[in-house]
Amino acid sequence: MPGKIYDVIVVGTGAGGGMAIKTLAEAGLNVLALNAGRKLVPARDFRNHRQPYDMKFRGFGDPRTRAQSYGYMDNEYVEGIWEHEITYTTAPGTQWMWPRCYAVGGKTNFWGRSSARFGDIDFKAAQRDGYDVDWPVSYEEIAPYYTRAEQMMGVASTVQHRPSNPDGHYLPPMNFRCLDYILQSGCQKAGVPYLPDRIAQLTVAHAGHPPCHYCGGCTEGCDIGAFFSSPYFFLPLAEKTGKLEMRTNALAREVLVDENGKARGVAYVDRLTRREEEAYGRAVVMSASCIESAHIMLNSKSRHWPTGIANSSGQLGRNLCDHLYGTSAYGYLPQLLGQPSFPDNVSSSTIAWMPRWQNLENPHQESFIRGYSVYPGGGCSEFPWYYRHLEGFGSSFKRDVNRYYPAPISFTVQAPTLRSDTNFVDIDPEVKDVYGRPAVRIHFQWDDNTLKMWEHSKQVCAEVIRAAGGEVWGAAEHPELPGYSLHETGACRMGNDPKTSVTNHFGQTHDVPNLFVCDAGVFLNCTDKTTTISIIAFTLRSSEYLIGLFRRGEI
Amino acid sequence: MAGQGMDRREVLRSLALAAAASSFPGFSRWSFACGDHVNGGAPTPRAVKYMPQFFSGHEYATVERLADMIIPGDGTPGAKEAGVAEFIDFMVAHDESIQYSFRLGLTWLDAESERLDGSRFLDLTAEKQTEMVEHIAYRDRYRPGEEDGRAFFQLAREYTVMGYYTSRIGLKELDYPGLRLYSESPGCPHKDDPEHRHLPPTKF
Repeated sequence: MPGKIYDVIVVGTGAGGGMAIKTLAEAGLNVLALNAGRKLVPARDFRNHRQPYDMKFRGFGDPRTRAQSYGYMDNEYVEGIWEHEITYTTAPGTQWMWPRCYAVGGKTNFWGRSSARFGDIDFKAAQRDGYDVDWPVSYEEIAPYYTRAEQMMGVASTVQHRPSNPDGHYLPPMNFRCLDYILQSGCQKAGVPYLPDRIAQLTVAHAGHPPCHYCGGCTEGCDIGAFFSSPYFFLPLAEKTGKLEMRTNALAREVLVDENGKARGVAYVDRLTRREEEAYGRAVVMSASCIESAHIMLNSKSRHWPTGIANSSGQLGRNLCDHLYGTSAYGYLPQLLGQPSFPDNVSSSTIAWMPRWQNLENPHQESFIRGYSVYPGGGCSEFPWYYRHLEGFGSSFKRDVNRYYPAPISFTVQAPTLRSDTNFVDIDPEVKDVYGRPAVRIHFQWDDNTLKMWEHSKQVCAEVIRAAGGEVWGAAEHPELPGYSLHETGACRMGNDPKTSVTNHFGQTHDVPNLFVCDAGVFLNCTDKTTTISIIAFTLRSSEYLIGLFRRGEI
Repeated sequence: MAGQGMDRREVLRSLALAAAASSFPGFSRWSFACGDHVNGGAPTPRAVKYMPQFFSGHEYATVERLADMIIPGDGTPGAKEAGVAEFIDFMVAHDESIQYSFRLGLTWLDAESERLDGSRFLDLTAEKQTEMVEHIAYRDRYRPGEEDGRAFFQLAREYTVMGYYTSRIGLKELDYPGLRLYSESPGCPHKDDPEHRHLPPTKF
């Protein structure tokens, strides 16, 4: 029996995949979505309303498997949801932590929700400082798509008139906590901005979704869908059209090509039956996440594409960038010692941020180029981690733990790496995963520019704590491992020149006109902002371009 | 507010699921500590003696004593009431990487108290026990040659804190404000004093 031919096959259902699926299905195209994992059942899989004592290991996780955890988001509350079966490798000297969520909706189920727009300071950074090349898209071109993304997602913030951060359309912001007002006063003295973050979490009901009730534990998933996620905000709308077919546990192996080297479908393995399957489509959209899309494309070798599909430039898998994350400073605010507990952490959200303030007027003002942002946090949290800084035992120790409960604060830096020839992914020549797919191999090191930002942020954040009247306890000895931020970009870089980029500015591969990449892989770097809202805005634009090709009969 | 009733039902449903998930075997006092009787009301559970999974009876009694010294019941319930020793035994039983340190530390504690006072730690008077722990807990009381003891104290304290402040009792002690429902994002109540220089007198 000849297989059904869909209009579009979308690989992945996260921010990019979800946006593509919804846009294409609503335009009347027949869409097949392939997702490498299962569909989550919020009432069973999201354990965000459980107390630590409801968990077998009190939320600390089974010690026997803790070493395999991919960090704070891969914990006992979401056991079995982050991907641990599919192996990847790292080149000698590379330490890359790769948290992957292969469940339907991907990382949008558990993401941090910060949602700032990229601006021309990012798109035209090369023009300003001479490093690398400009993006093939200007802010003016992408701004309307950001507006629509914000309308779909619901982003709470304020208009801030920051040179590095274009303003958008916002729901009312979250309220500042005590610690925010105190740190803001410190920032004013230190000459650093301290403002409400842009956060895709509903402060009021929006687009049929209920407002947040600020219970906390958001990174364990939200079972009422009060923050943006693909399964709550995009996929139901796509399903309503009747144009979407979804196959879960379908792990993509390669993009299939026809006799002309164009995409004709996707080969995948059904993880439940272990059967090899093929699906056919007139166009293929890769939204498997930055590294995984490149991985699948590199594995898509054929007579036409001996080094991987759409790789005539040799740039597929190259140009990997990431955010350096780390605790730049932490300490406490003596003003709050002994105060009653306050729900500081109930949304477990980045209520405030310190948006990029470096190199704004002069791109070479600092010892590094570009810039970083910082997320402050603190206050009454689920676990009194600060006890390590309190000496002793007995009633005085117990009282101290209570006294310091509202007072701790910390700062997380978000610093982008620069494009480098030595940061990339390729296919491991020896290792295969359990399904026989040649494994992806990651080559990555922090660059000097990024490490200078890390050092700079440590100085500034300690200064802010002191200026706010606080006491500094220290800073992290090392930044988090590469990969920890989940913000990797660049492995399918877009550009105007087919010789130096994989896709054009619509995410359409230069070589294969019916193959699109709709995830952070197309971004030239990760800027000082998070990637999700930009994935959605760029995907919306790419999807509508693809719809135009169908309408005009060009596909 | 539109839709709010619906949200609350959703929340209550998931809380019920969480409650159902919280019963697993082997934790007499721990589950006791999680029970509602702490706030009065529920019937007294049947007394069941906890059988340690990792520690010997003597080791377990020592861990229980240490935990109670680190976070005592002193007006509010302490480590003993929160079942911290059971938590520690359970975690150590599942974590090979700390088994040696706990066993070595407990052995050290008895050996040192035998050397100084001629009996095992548990057999010392409460005053002697406190004095001994002070020497491994406070920098200005450190004695030479007790490095192993100091390392063990840090470990025992870490697991006591982990067990206590993740119990229902410990979270109540902190007045942990999470997993409650708020109709709007909770904001600072002292906006007229942004630097918070003039807050009301403290609780502690």
